[in-house]
Amino acid sequence: MKQVSSIFVLMICILSVGLLAPSSSLGAGGSDPIIIGVPTSLGYPPGKEALNSVMMAVEEINAKGGVKVGDTMRKFEVESADIRDAAPGVPVPEALLGLEKIILDKKVHAIVVGPYRSEALLAGMDIISKYKVPMIGSIAMSPASEAKIKGDPVKYKYIFRVGQNAKTFIGYQMGVMKYLEKEFGFNRLYAMYQDTMWARKSAEILTMLLGKANWKIVGNEAYPAGSTDYSPGLMKARAAGAQIIFPVFDLPQAGVLVKQWRSMKVPVLMAGMIAPMSGPQSWQTYDRKIAGAVNMVMEIGNVPVPKVPASVRYYEAYRKRWGKEIQEQHAPVGGYEAVYVLAEAIERAGTMDPDTVVAALEKTDRKGAMGRIRFDEGHQTIFGNDPSEKAMGCVIQWREGGRRVVVYPESIAEDKIILPSWLKPAK
Amino acid sequence: MPIFRGNSPKMFLGTLVYGLVNSVILALVAMGFNMTFGISGIANFAYGALYILAGFGTWILLNSLAIPLFLAIPAMVLITALVGGLLYRFILIRLRGMVISEVIATFGIGLAIVEMFRFLGFIHVKYSLPVFSDGSIFIGGVYLDFQRAFIVVFGIALSGTLWVFTRHTRIGLAFRGIAQDERTALTFGIDSDRISALSMGFGGGLCALAAVVILPLRTISVDAGYEVLLEALAVCIVGGLGSSVGVILASFILGMAQTFTAMYWGPHWMMIVTLVAILAILAIRPSGLLGKQKELEERI
Repeated sequence: MKQVSSIFVLMICILSVGLLAPSSSLGAGGSDPIIIGVPTSLGYPPGKEALNSVMMAVEEINAKGGVKVGDTMRKFEVESADIRDAAPGVPVPEALLGLEKIILDKKVHAIVVGPYRSEALLAGMDIISKYKVPMIGSIAMSPASEAKIKGDPVKYKYIFRVGQNAKTFIGYQMGVMKYLEKEFGFNRLYAMYQDTMWARKSAEILTMLLGKANWKIVGNEAYPAGSTDYSPGLMKARAAGAQIIFPVFDLPQAGVLVKQWRSMKVPVLMAGMIAPMSGPQSWQTYDRKIAGAVNMVMEIGNVPVPKVPASVRYYEAYRKRWGKEIQEQHAPVGGYEAVYVLAEAIERAGTMDPDTVVAALEKTDRKGAMGRIRFDEGHQTIFGNDPSEKAMGCVIQWREGGRRVVVYPESIAEDKIILPSWLKPAK
Repeated sequence: MPIFRGNSPKMFLGTLVYGLVNSVILALVAMGFNMTFGISGIANFAYGALYILAGFGTWILLNSLAIPLFLAIPAMVLITALVGGLLYRFILIRLRGMVISEVIATFGIGLAIVEMFRFLGFIHVKYSLPVFSDGSIFIGGVYLDFQRAFIVVFGIALSGTLWVFTRHTRIGLAFRGIAQDERTALTFGIDSDRISALSMGFGGGLCALAAVVILPLRTISVDAGYEVLLEALAVCIVGGLGSSVGVILASFILGMAQTFTAMYWGPHWMMIVTLVAILAILAIRPSGLLGKQKELEERI
């Protein structure tokens, strides 16, 4: 009996703590706020840093009085939910439950950042359309979402993307490959990619395009999410005489690939996208072994680009607000810009009616930390090579001492790509 | 299905080398889980949580408290062993003998530890441990880094040490006594609760040892808490729960099979190898390669 009483008291204590704990939402401090939902994988760095950026933008906007909706000023309020769609083994329906829950329970007016995995985004588009909640995503990258929007614009018009998709990513990668061919004569490529929808598609499209451009694709290999040993692929790349390894990975464990690349002394240039190898912390994490690696940063702002001052301002503001630098190459700046894009659209619409807000979102034309943001007919942000005309990603190269140098596109490059001393050009 | 046929003898040797490393890693991961089960009969489903506890703990000692690596490692091994022992002393002792309750309790505790790290924000790539020594050796036609070479040597040395420990020390003999027949061991004055607590502690300590030598090759991620538990379970199921030789045998079978599959078919087939091995062994020999439980049950 005594034991039962103890358990009862313990349960009451736990419930009390839960009820008394402060809300995780960022309060507006006034009545009738505009609620922004952030349902994503908060247990993963892109989700977490994107949420930080959303909160930063909301604080900035609220500090100026909020958003003007018709004649009234309304403040933003953020509600977040960890839908865990990035975690290996979490089924898409579970992530969708989280998405639907934040819409119904928190009565969000709009969603930013959104699902992490394209699989969850594509399945979640029906839920978002059903409840008519405008969403400006910044993580999931499959262009299949745009195809759905173009196929049924009336139904799916609520979904926008402010970050890169796999197509724009491939556009930049093709540019880098042509650059490497022109400068060093490289044309033999081995693709290693994470076995997820967007990464698989990206590798397939790039190898197909390079094949048409008379490149020799000496191998390609999919790795399950969370892999920690890449020796088979590295041995095969060496044996096949590859000159470039094109990696496409976004999970934290993938940085191990670069460590192995150096320790196995594979005489190949690593040029592609390994998400955990982008932030300033990577240099220490990977035992200062990543010099020479060439890595994509999906949106400028996630790294400061001196030739685009707005990207430096955002990067420094993030550091000041959160006491640390941005480590992710995809999503944080997108979360920040999405809030401003939404705020500007609401002000243009003058109402919170979702269809009117969507119509205003379609007319977006904003110059911010990631260049100029405009949406195409698939509601995808248009990316290019001129920050005054389009949004931009960039490519960095790690240099000895842990410096990140912007090397592509040439319009914003700080330096040219330099081959590591142990790697010789093919011409 | 892409089958790779390149540069055969050299590739084959290289695959053998990395297969050996993979096998020793699997053996190290499973050793602690198997030891606890073999002695006390407790399937410690908090094992993966202890693994990341050791990893994150070592990282904190190194980076936040600036304790040198050679002190941080033994300190964290001891702390993890202590946590394992305390789990038994304060929680499992009350559930002793109720197998399902033990599984639920250890799984629940493991879940709480793993998700606590996620909640506290331990989700960044910065969480990684340094390699003990930088550099590579050329062996079998491939470069092998010192850390992987060390893991192989360490795994062999640890197996030998455990063999000597369980046969030539007082506690080791008590471990074996409880493992062979708990009631008879009791009549010889061996305290089964004390030995079970020690077995949980030893299991935790071995788990921490595995973590600190393996994690410099990886990053410390919260998800590893689940992955390591699955790896340990897979090896123990195939080898036979409680059988040390079976676990080593299974590690080599699975490790080599995974690496050769990754090399000649593709890495995304690696998980299939493990699943097929588990299904096959359960269908043909449910106790595992060298396990004895099913036979004992049938005899009873």
